[in-house]
Amino acid sequence: MKDKYLLKKDHLLPLLRKLKKTYRLIAPVRNTHGDTLFTAIDRLDEVRIDLDKQPQNSLKQFFFPQQEVLFTYDNPAGDSYHFQPVVEESPPSLYFGVRPCDLSAVLYMDVVFLKDAKDPSYLQKRQNSILVGLNCNDPFASCFCNVTRSGPFIDFGFDLQLTDLGDRFLVEFDRSRGQEIITSWQQFFAPAGEADVKAQYQSFLEARGKFSLQVHLDQAVRKLALGEVPESVWEELSMRCQDCGGCAYICPTCTCFTIHDLQTSDHAGERLRSWDACTFSGFTRMAGGHNPVDRQMRGIEKRFRHKLQFDVKKDNRPSCVGCGRCVNICFGGTDIVRFINMTCCENS
Amino acid sequence: MPSQSKDLYLPRPAEIREVIEENSQIKTFALSFIDREYQDRFSYAPGQFLMVSVPHCGEAPISVSSTPVSGGAIHLSVRRAGRLTAAMHGMRKGDVVGLRGPYGRPFPMAELAGRDLLFVAGGIGLAPLRSVINTCLAAGHGRRITILYGSRTPSDIAFKADLTSWGETANVSCLLTVDRAEPGWQGEVGLVTALLAQCRLEPDDAKALLCGPPMMIRAVLAELAERGFADEDIITTMERHMKCGVGICRHCHMDDKLVCRDGPVFTLQELKQLKVMELLG
Repeated sequence: MKDKYLLKKDHLLPLLRKLKKTYRLIAPVRNTHGDTLFTAIDRLDEVRIDLDKQPQNSLKQFFFPQQEVLFTYDNPAGDSYHFQPVVEESPPSLYFGVRPCDLSAVLYMDVVFLKDAKDPSYLQKRQNSILVGLNCNDPFASCFCNVTRSGPFIDFGFDLQLTDLGDRFLVEFDRSRGQEIITSWQQFFAPAGEADVKAQYQSFLEARGKFSLQVHLDQAVRKLALGEVPESVWEELSMRCQDCGGCAYICPTCTCFTIHDLQTSDHAGERLRSWDACTFSGFTRMAGGHNPVDRQMRGIEKRFRHKLQFDVKKDNRPSCVGCGRCVNICFGGTDIVRFINMTCCENS
Repeated sequence: MPSQSKDLYLPRPAEIREVIEENSQIKTFALSFIDREYQDRFSYAPGQFLMVSVPHCGEAPISVSSTPVSGGAIHLSVRRAGRLTAAMHGMRKGDVVGLRGPYGRPFPMAELAGRDLLFVAGGIGLAPLRSVINTCLAAGHGRRITILYGSRTPSDIAFKADLTSWGETANVSCLLTVDRAEPGWQGEVGLVTALLAQCRLEPDDAKALLCGPPMMIRAVLAELAERGFADEDIITTMERHMKCGVGICRHCHMDDKLVCRDGPVFTLQELKQLKVMELLG
């Protein structure tokens, strides 16, 4: 089979060991608390790579850290004020075991950070990244990437992509950098046969049938576009939302940020950017206190409209990737799945 | 002249050449970049804004109130509203701030040429319109210009030198009103919409440019609609909380538009497609 390869599971760790010599390796690691998190791996032999559970974090924090220094400044006197760029070279990094939802989220972040103005920090980290995907044979309980069309399998956007076929992975590439890895380490890869590709397709068909959540995404998108979402839905959601920002922080496609100064001495400081959430009441509040958006009532509405209405209008697809993390984290029960299904059950 | 990628968020130091106290709340800062070569290359268009940095206070978007002249000082008229603007009000000639920009979609200057122009402003709202008016006059705009300006009290009237000079220009009529008179005030008292009633306007051949508090905008829009102005001939500039200024951070969103990138200048026709507080009340 042209351009499709096999990697025996026994060869995975030896391959990663080789790759780790060239790249900083980031992969889902099960920690001592039992959490699985994308983690930069220091010593491969001392960690347990976990490809069975969904990582609790996405790749967002690696390309767009929760807080980062944009530059430093000093003003020894009123008549001097200097700005020094922070040169923080991101090492070439290989992200391993990236599921289709998280891969789709990176492709969405590319649009946010690189389409018009090019964000220098993001661009640098992205240019130095290799994405090795992992198709999802077994979607998790809160997953709904089948309706956001970002999984359970994906066929673009990765450098390399693995599909678990039991004792081996089927390996595909979508970018020349992925092909280079196969060429450089060909001792680990064997050409795939027709049976392997059939097995991959079979896995895809089975995975597609395994989703347990019923999410009427298209219907909600249509209702939002037509202005048919009943006011009672917004009222109930805003009443129940605890304004914790958890959904936005955990979301792989929520990229709103704030910029602020941190004074480090009498005459110096750092200009920082930090994650922000459009559900927060201060998000649109202007100097002097005027707020053009009633955040109490409309904060959560803005978030859902952005993902399911405005981004659909602009890019023809929602910017929710169906990873289900907000479903797991929201203790107010106002996650996006609840919203979608409320919208479709209530009569307008 | 937006920054290159690597210094997207990096301001450049600019020195305060002059501070003009417009009223107790508004000061106009005349600034120029310390890098003389950059200052000479720097250009902007009326309606655009700059991100202003003040030590330890972060950044705020301020629209330019001057007329783009090669190498000329950049005027930023700043109302004391929050922490950054209060700190800026404490700054003197010779002090240094950071500037980056200009950003945003400017007023459609080419469309304004050859049309009667109506400017309606309230308070600090005259700042961005001042840039348009002086640019039009410098370009020899020959058609009628009507300027209506509302302030809270006579001592709140800003840009007095400009108002005087506009009042003395042949094709310009400049009318002022205040919400509350003070001893010695001989002029109008009342809403800026009352001034509108005194004006001779030919809506088919005019453009109206508004900037001011939302309540004023709503009242003026209603009056202009009554007078037969088409939505595409009514232009305003929006104010929103902003952080990046370059269309990434999303603080200034209005539905699917971003004020920093798609605005801040919008026609009423464009705004009617959006759920905008200024129009909805």
